Amino acid sequence: MEPRFAGMTFFATSHAGDVCGTNGLPLTPNSITIYGRSQILRTFSHPNLCMYLDIIRGKHERTMIVSEFYAQSLASVQDSISVPGIVKICHQTLKALSFINSFEIVHRCLAPDNILFDAQGNVKLFNYGLYFMTGKGADVSFPIGNPRYMAPEVFLVDSQIASSPKVDIWSLGIILAEQALGLGQVWSELKLAQLMRKVLSLINCNSDTSVFSRIAREHSCWTKYENLPQSLVHLINSCLQLNPSDRPTPKELLQFSIFKEYTLDDIQIGKFDRPDTLFENIHPLNSLPLQELYYLWRLAGGDVQSELKKQGLIRTMPPILSVPRLVLLEGSVLGKRRDQTSLLDLKIIPLSLDSLRNRLAPVPFSAYYPLIETKSDILNEEEECDAATLPLIIRERDTEYQFRRVVLFRRLLEGYPHTKASIVREARQDIPPLYRGRVWAALLEVEGDFESFYVETDKETPNHTDRQIEVDIPRCHQYDELLSSREGHRKFKRVLKAWVERNPQYVYWQGLDSLCAPFIYLNFNNEALAFACLSAFIPKYLHRFFLKDNSAVIREYLAKFTHIIAFHDPELSNHLQEIGFIPELFAIPWFLTMFSQVDIERCLSDSVAFYCCTPRSTTYRQHERCPGKISQKNKPYHPDLEMSAQSVAELQAESCPRISGADLLDLLDSSKFPRPKVLVVDVRNPELFHLGTAPGSINIPHSRFDLTQESPPLPACPEANILLQNRGKILVVAGQGDSPHAVQVAQVLLRNGLPKVCVLNRGIDVLQLANLLTKPTSS
Amino acid sequence: MTPSTEKTIERKFIFEFSAQTSNETYQFEVPIHIPFVGNINELSQRLITLFKVPVYIEKDLEAELKLFVEQETLSYLDNIAVDAIKRGQNGEVDVEEIIKNFERLFKEETAEYAAPRGSTDEELFATVYHKLVHSPALEAMLQVEHAYSIVVNEMTTQRDDELAALTERQGKEMSHLVSGIGDFSTEAEVNSLAARHCEDQNMVQAKINSQIDSLQETQRREYREWLMKLLEEQAEEASSVTPPTPSPTHIVRHITTEVSSKEKKKSSSDAKADVPSNPSMEESFTIHLGSQMKQMHNIRIMSADVLHLCKTHLSANGVKHMQPQRLQTALALYSNDLCGLVLLTDGLISSYSGTTKEFINVCQQSTEFHFPPIDDQLEKIREGVKETASWRQEHWGSENLSLSGQQWRRASSAGALRTGDVYVTRHSNLNEVHVVFHMVIDDSLRSSDMNSRHPAILGLRNVLKMACSNDVTTLTVPLLLAHHMTEEMTVAWCAKRAELVLKCVKGFMIEMASWGGSELKNLQFVVPEGISDEVFVSLAAMLPSVFRVSNPLVFKASSAPITPKTA
Repeated sequence: MEPRFAGMTFFATSHAGDVCGTNGLPLTPNSITIYGRSQILRTFSHPNLCMYLDIIRGKHERTMIVSEFYAQSLASVQDSISVPGIVKICHQTLKALSFINSFEIVHRCLAPDNILFDAQGNVKLFNYGLYFMTGKGADVSFPIGNPRYMAPEVFLVDSQIASSPKVDIWSLGIILAEQALGLGQVWSELKLAQLMRKVLSLINCNSDTSVFSRIAREHSCWTKYENLPQSLVHLINSCLQLNPSDRPTPKELLQFSIFKEYTLDDIQIGKFDRPDTLFENIHPLNSLPLQELYYLWRLAGGDVQSELKKQGLIRTMPPILSVPRLVLLEGSVLGKRRDQTSLLDLKIIPLSLDSLRNRLAPVPFSAYYPLIETKSDILNEEEECDAATLPLIIRERDTEYQFRRVVLFRRLLEGYPHTKASIVREARQDIPPLYRGRVWAALLEVEGDFESFYVETDKETPNHTDRQIEVDIPRCHQYDELLSSREGHRKFKRVLKAWVERNPQYVYWQGLDSLCAPFIYLNFNNEALAFACLSAFIPKYLHRFFLKDNSAVIREYLAKFTHIIAFHDPELSNHLQEIGFIPELFAIPWFLTMFSQVDIERCLSDSVAFYCCTPRSTTYRQHERCPGKISQKNKPYHPDLEMSAQSVAELQAESCPRISGADLLDLLDSSKFPRPKVLVVDVRNPELFHLGTAPGSINIPHSRFDLTQESPPLPACPEANILLQNRGKILVVAGQGDSPHAVQVAQVLLRNGLPKVCVLNRGIDVLQLANLLTKPTSS
Repeated sequence: MTPSTEKTIERKFIFEFSAQTSNETYQFEVPIHIPFVGNINELSQRLITLFKVPVYIEKDLEAELKLFVEQETLSYLDNIAVDAIKRGQNGEVDVEEIIKNFERLFKEETAEYAAPRGSTDEELFATVYHKLVHSPALEAMLQVEHAYSIVVNEMTTQRDDELAALTERQGKEMSHLVSGIGDFSTEAEVNSLAARHCEDQNMVQAKINSQIDSLQETQRREYREWLMKLLEEQAEEASSVTPPTPSPTHIVRHITTEVSSKEKKKSSSDAKADVPSNPSMEESFTIHLGSQMKQMHNIRIMSADVLHLCKTHLSANGVKHMQPQRLQTALALYSNDLCGLVLLTDGLISSYSGTTKEFINVCQQSTEFHFPPIDDQLEKIREGVKETASWRQEHWGSENLSLSGQQWRRASSAGALRTGDVYVTRHSNLNEVHVVFHMVIDDSLRSSDMNSRHPAILGLRNVLKMACSNDVTTLTVPLLLAHHMTEEMTVAWCAKRAELVLKCVKGFMIEMASWGGSELKNLQFVVPEGISDEVFVSLAAMLPSVFRVSNPLVFKASSAPITPKTA
């Protein structure tokens, strides 16, 4: 397989000495600035542009770029190109330039070696992001551009001022002139200084001789020049206008009539129809989007840095040879030898796909097109990949497994929102990191025209939260180069401001930035999606947490948290109670940031386990987003069977959570749970108990507990032994109505170390509503 | 390049639209900065809200605004370019100057235009050495190096012995003569004797020193030639199956026999003095740094003579007992894991005293095979210091470091280094060190009230930054910023100083993490040898409190807590 992408590298300038930003924090290294800025390039998809696949930061401010690549470039084409061919190159290059111009990007180093051709002979513009990603050259020490093709004004204008899109047109003009006159290279015999002198001498050119004709005369190809079609000469002359205001932009040039004169589609440039390309084209890997190919290439052991090293592009001098001699207090360094290996060398190193091809050789062709909606009898049910049963960390690194997941998820995402159910089902298994951003968005049910919504949201007008945001963002998220880049900070600020703007009832609380971080990270090139995800996420998990006065919400939440601890871990609960360590002292940041500061992997698997064995109603909060789905089919419904709001003081007064009658009925349903998971402890008087109680319940009248003691023991009776024997079951303490006895007894059970104790809301009477009271079987 | 013109200009954007229901037209205008920064669609949305204009103009407004910004930006850039070209045409700017600048840029910064440059001798030798040292030849190489150093050591010892003997003899002669003043000698005679003695001393010293120099020169040449030969042999070996020629071994044997014969003569005399003194106390920790971006480092505190890290210890039975650290140091010499040491010195770079002088002696104990001899390196630095003086004069005005004028004045004459300045020497023949950072200090360090803005602390920051950008991944720092115990160093003084240095170094390390260089793997703090056990223990205890020690907390749910090995 031919390489499909290639790597190149350069160094950013490192900041000198002791410089600080205006906020007093150390300056962000230039390589990080470049890293953040260049991310947007990865979204560019245009038929005449090479796609940017990755930007990698190395040590000592090195930046490596991975980009789509084709072996054939205009510089390597040997045969002379026909006039229609030249027009085609021009046309497609202009389309590419016009596209990048619409993102305010200028190529600045347009030259024949940056014009590549794909197998069909179409122009693929290369390296068009260098000027943009380096902050118009400000973040690097080398000059950007090839002096042979640089427009005169590039030399003359202050380098701090951005180049206009028209400088590329000049370069294109020179390139076209070379091709039209059949020159290998203009002024090929001139040395660097002479070359620049030549270019700059053109500004003193007599205005009635065109630059193109001068070039033709100087290279003694006047006859050739005279024989060129007028429209082509006109085109090149327009490109080579000295005065930039006379020179058209790419967009304007595209309107020239010459492009209508020729049918450009079938023109071949160079020799491309080698026999093997036909075969190569059908290699199924080529059917994958380039990003997927690159993702898999890396999983299959591809390492850009070591590849560049192997090919000699990254050479390093032993550091001891370049140690400086003297460092002054002020931070200036003297006698540091310039490491010759740090010069700009824009060599392009193709990255071989062979190891990936070998790695995926056993994968059948059908795996490239998995069936999603239908089943087939002919194609046997996909044989699972070996890695499917292994831990997540291995699955995420397994090339073949990821290949299958990536292909599957791409197809599912293409069908979103129709495929929502399948996405949720598959995501339960795992999410391929490549598509995590979009999968999360699907899980959060982001749909509709969120882009326009975001554009309409005002993110500029200053408001009172700006200062806090400005302080929080730069000092947090240092752990990640993307989020700590200037571009990352900008996105943080915009998304947070948009959220505050769109949620006037809420305010920016510290911690909101931590919630925002994963969405910005995953959707770095799609702020609107990041915002839409954040907007969907917060009400789902942190409903009303960001109210200006959120104390009611938080206090209720923490009180419930205490209950849950008591329910699952009585020992811990008793200990915390003993030392008076209330969750207000430690847990608020956990909830405000959704545990973003802890080992989330572990946290997640634990919470799933806890969730499964916690009756829903024990976590009831009045400030929840929606109080559960009320109308469940075939279930008796009565308001008394459901939970009702309690004040924070009430919640805090009780040690154990309450369970709703509906949940108890559900747990008592013997068709669902043949082995009962619940034991009801009826604490009413024996008389009432014998009149009717919950099925399978035991009776320990509350009077048997000596509640005057500080920590009363369990009463000595056979029922207490039953309790201990049933340790681990959910123990529902039920009393008469809302009498306080049940709560007190529940607390005694808890203090005696029994787990999963809860109190039946509204007492045993609610069971009457479901006609479930039975006479206890005499023991 | 023209002087930068104003960075942005303001243009008025005027938008007109008609009401759907009547023929009235409305208009509004907004100032827009060119070049425009931001999103045009968002701007037009904001304008709609701001001017409370009907939403149906949305598309028109967007399109018109886009066109407006595009055209204004183009004409703004065009104007600048046209201006620049005009200036070029009428000679307002020197085109030749511009060409020269660009030529320099291209030649200095791009491989395409840079003067083709072969590898220097240094780089070539580095490659050869690095290759050989990671081959089976390693052992032979180290043995040869070791044997060579023993010979040099012999000679320096001999020099010192001879000088001592001479001094003794002269002393006797002198005292004899002095005692006879007025009796059998005159003052003039004493004076002339003193002069003669001095001359003799110098002569003997110069004679032996030049012998040593020429010996080292020979060794260096021989050794480098031998390595080249070794490499060739290895290459041949790899390509053909011819048996290796015996040359390397014979050199070794030759030298070793020579050495051992000499050694026998003196073995008994100073065997004791050669026993290396290990750090008397040490303790080490693994720590995590950074609240968000965690990094692991090894930290060690030890009480030792700093020069202990430099001296290669030749034990009496020399060849057989080469120190294992030498192996490590040789292997890492041209790697990306260098070892550095901060050595404190006074600002006088023309004459050396104290630890620096001792250090130079240590360097001269054996031949430097890779880098210029220490004298030459220091000479180069002296030249650099002159540059410094002029640099400082230039930048005097732009000084914004908050250092007291007093501190500046203390560094008296131009050309001297100031407190906090650091000069760097490179070494291949020291025990555990490749790079030595000589940091200039002064008496102000003796004071107990020193703060984090003290030049020595800033110098330490520069050292850490240099370490980070030059792949020095093991660094030794004198914790108390002193090499010897003095009387003002009370317990309280030590604690205060150690806390300051530890906290500052910690801060610098966190800062370094974002610089994108190599991270410091091992950080060693050394305190003077004579420190009392109690003080050392208290300083060692300070480490885990300042740095966060990473002792993993192991727990299992629902079972008794597992404590690490209860005794």
